[in-house]
Amino acid sequence: MEIIARPKGGDVDRMAEKVFMKSIEILGGLKKLVEYRNLTWLPSLAEAAYVIVLRNEALKTYSEIARELGITEATAKNIATADDVKVLDYIRGGLEERPKEHMAGGIAKLAYRALKESGELDLDEVSLNDEMTEILEIAWAVQVLSKIKGLDFPAGKEQLAERLAGILVKEKGREYRIEELLDRIDYPVKSPSELLHKLKMAASA
Amino acid sequence: MARYYELKELETKAPKLFGIPTGTKLDDMFYRIEREGDRYIKKPLGGIPHLAVMNITGVPDTGKSVFAEQFAVTQANSGYRVLFVTVESPANFLYTALKQKAEAMGADFSRVEENIVVIDAAESDELRENVRALIDTMAYAIREKKTSNVIIDSITGLYEHKEVMARQIVRQVFNFLKKFRQTGILVSQKRSAQASESAEAAGGLAVAHIVDGTIVLDKKLIETRWDVNLYGLPLGEVLRTLRIDGCRLTAHDSKTWVFEITDTGLVDIISPLSDYVESKIR
Repeated sequence: MEIIARPKGGDVDRMAEKVFMKSIEILGGLKKLVEYRNLTWLPSLAEAAYVIVLRNEALKTYSEIARELGITEATAKNIATADDVKVLDYIRGGLEERPKEHMAGGIAKLAYRALKESGELDLDEVSLNDEMTEILEIAWAVQVLSKIKGLDFPAGKEQLAERLAGILVKEKGREYRIEELLDRIDYPVKSPSELLHKLKMAASA
Repeated sequence: MARYYELKELETKAPKLFGIPTGTKLDDMFYRIEREGDRYIKKPLGGIPHLAVMNITGVPDTGKSVFAEQFAVTQANSGYRVLFVTVESPANFLYTALKQKAEAMGADFSRVEENIVVIDAAESDELRENVRALIDTMAYAIREKKTSNVIIDSITGLYEHKEVMARQIVRQVFNFLKKFRQTGILVSQKRSAQASESAEAAGGLAVAHIVDGTIVLDKKLIETRWDVNLYGLPLGEVLRTLRIDGCRLTAHDSKTWVFEITDTGLVDIISPLSDYVESKIR
């Protein structure tokens, strides 16, 4: 007889963050995304991570997911039904032509499955190795994406400062208050990916 | 966005009507009417209706938990997974109770043990006080353990100091069990001051209106000569009764039945009260 004595499941935000992190790991890490100037993938990955978790863990319908995330039902469905095998094949260079699947959806599904199979999704804490610690240095990116949910772009300094107040950005072992970085970038910021890119550049400068 | 269905569209979504055995005679008290030739005949369902959420109510010590545990053992022994949310009795005490029930019922306890998952809300304030956390945990258990039945003993324990929330909490739990396609037993406490012949005040305001059906358990202390003559029981004895107060999913027996809790701790439904009294008078 199994006894569950503490609350489990349900922390969609925490699970989506884990799926997001794992997705980046599958893609070769954040550095690789920066190198290939693929930071634009991050918002799609964050969105896909939420869709996969809401669909599989909270058992939400496509219309519920669409309402919750402010996306269309069709997008939610495309993400949740993306063929992850084809996507993996494409990332590894096995396919010449880019498949029609939702790429971020396929990657998030791969990440979700890997976490599920290893039991990490339900663990309160994940044990960290050096590589993971390095990846977790970009936890600020996830925080930024989750705080700007629903914000209209292009966005100005005031709107961003109001939403992002208090976030600490860790970059290459150094720590910055986000307010400090927001002072250093140009406005308006056209998109979430541009925001992440500018923040990262400001922190690396 | 307005949503509506043509009645025909619901045909494939409608659940099939069959019984989920409880291990008591209650299984013969739910039935459906089938036409055979020119006649309509009653066919016992063989249990509470599949996917029903039933409210088991009564004042303290009427046998509600005994009934719930008997249901859990019956289902688990038949190979169906049961999620037991214990709100009153800590999980280790529940373990002992279920073990004793399984022995008394001749069930295979290793099989029972394997098929029951327990959420211990009795010892976790967070689970007992935060319905959202409890529902998320139940969702986790249902999904991971593939359960088909859920027992909450008691639902009243989730709002014992905030009765104004009763309907809201029961509604959330009810909708959740429907969404996750579980057959549910919600045990609810009736206060001794509330009229025992009614279910309307069971565990809060109009909880009985939300669930699919209510089974009322009651007890009567034999304390007058009149009682002795009527029930044929000695002074000081307790007469236990059970009645299906309503079920919107299927037809049911509406008589009040006499039952006993046997020495081995099982619910044994004996006969309708009217037959019982008649047999004693003779």
